[in-house]
Amino acid sequence: MIDAKPERKTRKFKESNYYDLKKDGQYFLLPFRFHRITTEKEIIVNEVGDFLILPTGTYERIVKRQVDKETDSELYGDLIANYFISEEVISPLIDVLATRYRTKKLFLNHFTGLHIFVISLRCEHTCHYCQVSRVTQNRDKYDMSIDYIDKGIEIMFKSPNPHVTMEFQGGEALLAFDNIKYAVEKAERIAKEIGKGLTKVICTNLAIVTEEILEYCKEHEILISTSLDGPKLVHDNNRHKPHASSYELTIRGIELARKILGHDRVSALMTTTKLSLDYPIEIVDEYFNLGFQGIFLRNISPYGFALRTEKSKYDTEKFLTFYKKALDRILEYNFQGYNFTEDLARIFLIKMLSPFNVGFVDLQSPAGLINGVIVFNYDGGVYATDESRMLAEQKDFTFKLGTLNDSYNELFFGKKAQEIAEVWANESLAGCSECAFQQYCGADPVHNHATQGDMYGYRPNSDFCQKNMEIIRYLIELIESDQRVKNIFQGWARTVNH
Amino acid sequence: MSFQNRIEGNEIIVFADTSLYSKDSIFKCLYWYGDKYHTNVSFADSNTYKVGLKPMSDNPISSEQAEKLLQKLERDLIDFNLRDIVTKETKNIRDLLTAKAFSNGEFDELPPGEISDPVGFNVNEIKND
Repeated sequence: MIDAKPERKTRKFKESNYYDLKKDGQYFLLPFRFHRITTEKEIIVNEVGDFLILPTGTYERIVKRQVDKETDSELYGDLIANYFISEEVISPLIDVLATRYRTKKLFLNHFTGLHIFVISLRCEHTCHYCQVSRVTQNRDKYDMSIDYIDKGIEIMFKSPNPHVTMEFQGGEALLAFDNIKYAVEKAERIAKEIGKGLTKVICTNLAIVTEEILEYCKEHEILISTSLDGPKLVHDNNRHKPHASSYELTIRGIELARKILGHDRVSALMTTTKLSLDYPIEIVDEYFNLGFQGIFLRNISPYGFALRTEKSKYDTEKFLTFYKKALDRILEYNFQGYNFTEDLARIFLIKMLSPFNVGFVDLQSPAGLINGVIVFNYDGGVYATDESRMLAEQKDFTFKLGTLNDSYNELFFGKKAQEIAEVWANESLAGCSECAFQQYCGADPVHNHATQGDMYGYRPNSDFCQKNMEIIRYLIELIESDQRVKNIFQGWARTVNH
Repeated sequence: MSFQNRIEGNEIIVFADTSLYSKDSIFKCLYWYGDKYHTNVSFADSNTYKVGLKPMSDNPISSEQAEKLLQKLERDLIDFNLRDIVTKETKNIRDLLTAKAFSNGEFDELPPGEISDPVGFNVNEIKND
């Protein structure tokens, strides 16, 4: 008699039908949104930013339960695997999805990080688009007093954030360098005592920078953030300095700062003005040739341009044309093997292609004002964002939260903060609540107020909406059309700091 | 009674069955037309919405554009109705998701089923260091 061979136990995968728990093909919808990309394609995006690009008409089929598990097995599998549909009313993986959602909102975890100290309103430039600075020697009136610096530091360290950033802005911040030194040394002392992380940044046009100042910055690990609008023609036209070339001073300053502080301790930001719109290639080349790792193509500020008129739409469209030309140039550099990024695209791509998010003031929801950034003005006023204090210079105090004489609770949780909080989440704004790009975009009550007259905003003619929708759509179009671009973008998305 | 979608003078008129289209979807759709058109929603009869678009005086449109606009409005009404179905069907799961995401673990549940190994050893006896 021969014994039957015992069944061999194994950990090998079972056949796929073993895992098919729902034979009848019925499915339930999970939250997701849709948008038409082209006449042939549409996109669906779920609650954590995962997306699928599908042939037109697929969204309707999904909603009408016309996706068949057998005949559309690939699509069905993609929809299940990417949390668009579930075979049970509550997906057994709801906790995984919730964890991913939490990760996307991680920027809320620590509350305010960036504390901007407008250390002086004085400036030696007379830039035509700047509505803030003053060319004056009057220190008493336009420099932040020691008393307000002390109070600002006190409030900064009340933030629950374990790592705060102290950023000095102007005017030209270096005109009040003695006050910066006082503030840095005091903040460093307190940070050490209470065990908080502290990053220090000086925003400066570098025109009056000296070796002595930079040696101090090196000793105290202060980062330099400067302004560079592009090549000499563009920069000098945008940033007027009496009897001198602002461009040449900035370049000299960047070189000196890199020499003393190190290459990566100096960053530059550009502002796109009407003049810049004609020079997309030259601006990108300027940043590339100066050895920067990337550029942030920032759109025209609404504070110098009348965005309430029809002309604004023209401007937004012109900006988009400019942006696409510049981005194409940046991609050319990447095709040649250089790692050179565009930061606005990078922010969107991190949201689209990675599990993470980026805390960026107007591209997050809830918006970054107050819970990400706060501004202490030279005169003791406390504002929700940098743009808010610029509005205040035009006598519009809508976003003034109080003064440095007020308590932390009054400033951060007071009536004004609550009023702003009503409109700072795009999940609950008309036009945004069902937008496919909601997870990639954000809310900007200050911009809405400045351009449309109310914080809530009106999406159909919002330049903010028009710009972001089109850039995101364009990025998706690029991803879909060229595998090389997709690979480059995936590389950019991996550069998240978290 | 059936109603025909049409262009009447410079006004676009579209009809929507109340049993197929939600009121919310119609208003959400028209929201996007409000910057260029006068919008109007009324009942054609007790079962039919009548939706109207009239160009604003500073935004005149040609008959060719009116044809395209009619087509766009018809398509947008379908799109917004579909979006509305998803929003309403998934409202509870979205609330649950947000509640779980922002909780401090009080809503967490253990995964269903028991941990086992097909080869046969008892995984519960594995001691963690």
